[in-house]
Amino acid sequence: MEGIRRIGWTVSQHKVLSICMVLISIIVLSGLLAPLIAPNDPNFVDLMHKLEGPSKQFPLGTDQLGRCLLSRLLYGTRVSLSLALLIVTSCLVIGTIIGCFAGYIGGKVDGLVMRICDAILAIPSLILAISLIAIWGAGWKQMAVALIIVQSVYYARFIRGLVKNIKQQTYITAAKIAGTSTLRLMTRHIIPNLLPPLFIVVTLEIGWVIMDISALSFIGLGVQSPTPEWGAMINEGKSFLRSHPRLMIVPGVMIFCMVAILNLLGEALSERKGLSRLLPKWAKEAKGS
Amino acid sequence: MLVVDHVTKKYGTSSWFHRNKPAKSALSDVSFTVEPGTCMGILGESGAGKSTLGKIILGLLPPDSGSVRFEGVDLYRSDRHTRKKIRRNLQVVFQDCYSAVNPRMTVRQIIAEPLRNFERLSAQQERSIIVELLETVGLAAEHLDKNPRQMSGGQLQRVNIARAIALNPKLIVLDEPLSSLDMIVQKQILQHLNELKDSKGLSYLFISHDVMAVNNLSDRVAVLDKGMIVESMEANAMFECSHPSSQRIIHAIHEANRLGP
Repeated sequence: MEGIRRIGWTVSQHKVLSICMVLISIIVLSGLLAPLIAPNDPNFVDLMHKLEGPSKQFPLGTDQLGRCLLSRLLYGTRVSLSLALLIVTSCLVIGTIIGCFAGYIGGKVDGLVMRICDAILAIPSLILAISLIAIWGAGWKQMAVALIIVQSVYYARFIRGLVKNIKQQTYITAAKIAGTSTLRLMTRHIIPNLLPPLFIVVTLEIGWVIMDISALSFIGLGVQSPTPEWGAMINEGKSFLRSHPRLMIVPGVMIFCMVAILNLLGEALSERKGLSRLLPKWAKEAKGS
Repeated sequence: MLVVDHVTKKYGTSSWFHRNKPAKSALSDVSFTVEPGTCMGILGESGAGKSTLGKIILGLLPPDSGSVRFEGVDLYRSDRHTRKKIRRNLQVVFQDCYSAVNPRMTVRQIIAEPLRNFERLSAQQERSIIVELLETVGLAAEHLDKNPRQMSGGQLQRVNIARAIALNPKLIVLDEPLSSLDMIVQKQILQHLNELKDSKGLSYLFISHDVMAVNNLSDRVAVLDKGMIVESMEANAMFECSHPSSQRIIHAIHEANRLGP
């Protein structure tokens, strides 16, 4: 009983937060359980039923090849989310290593690493990703690598700023005097104090990465057909915009919802942690503007 | 035990694209010694170079010229291994107790940190040592698993002292340890510091602008003004100082006290 009351109190205190959490869990669960809840095989072509409206068998209708739109949407959630998670996690690891290294050592090493990052950040990230894919050829692996390279730079700068900030704290000096080694200083003092702001940034960033993945897939550079992915689905549906706008609107709404929810969640979190004023400042510094 | 010999430190800026700006002198030709079991007070106004001096003595900031020797070992010109040995005999208590501890650690973790770096202890031994240390500084064992945020400034400064004495050091640098606390707590902590000095044979380097506290704890006092030691004397002869700068610093506080209730 006590537990339920506490949950109730938490929900009423953090309305936006809890609503976002519930919606995200619904989307993530529907992606995870896609094989169980999808009414049809997402890649089963049935030209007899092409471009049909919603019916009992196809709750959201079918596309130009007669594939069930709802099933494709559910399987697309899996692809989009897992790709976004993969990219963000890799960026986080690479960014943390570079950022901690540059931020901790400081001086000329820091200057050199950060000027390289500046050079990369000077080019809009999506355009840089497109040119990298143009060199390597289209496909989801190339897209992931390109996005990881482009985004890691941003993370590295952001984390470097945080590390520099933490390094100036007195408790780091105190720990050094207590005889703590550099490695332990990193793992016990610096990285734990990086986590709260990083967690919020990651929440916001996943939304943007989903946008990037969809954008690249939309122009045919990312996830290739027939794999269901939201951006690729919009791309496939664009020739039928006039006759069957449903084919574009449904995945479009899905992208919109996902990105909006993740942004709201990130903002609610940063407000709760009292970081709402600091984060934009740090992010701006990281972007180098 | 601690010999500071003609230490000079200048501050300048240098980067890739700017030529070095003319350096501002923070410390010039500072020399003094701290004998075992005594407390040396460094008195000075803000900006006089007190904190810079503290950093140099702690081995954090190499001086431009001069040397700092601790038990005969030069802090900046000896090899790593020797310095690591020295490290545990030279500890610190900082001014701002809240920023001197990692906010994500508990009291137990904070005090255990130096112990884990230098000694191999079982969890049982470690706990009993920490409880003992807490009792020495006047805190109960119930504070073990508290966060820094849950504690008052006075309590947390005691935790800082417990961390500093955990390794049984020979010298503790007290960098304005009382300035962030209220009067009553200041008195209590001063008393604890006095007791520790007598029971453990500790030496202190007490950096402060608080004349009364310096007078209470120190055996000798050096007055630091604009990076130079203008006068040094026995603590009980403090109010008969002769140099104009030290007269100004010492008597300013005295005046303020007389104006009070």
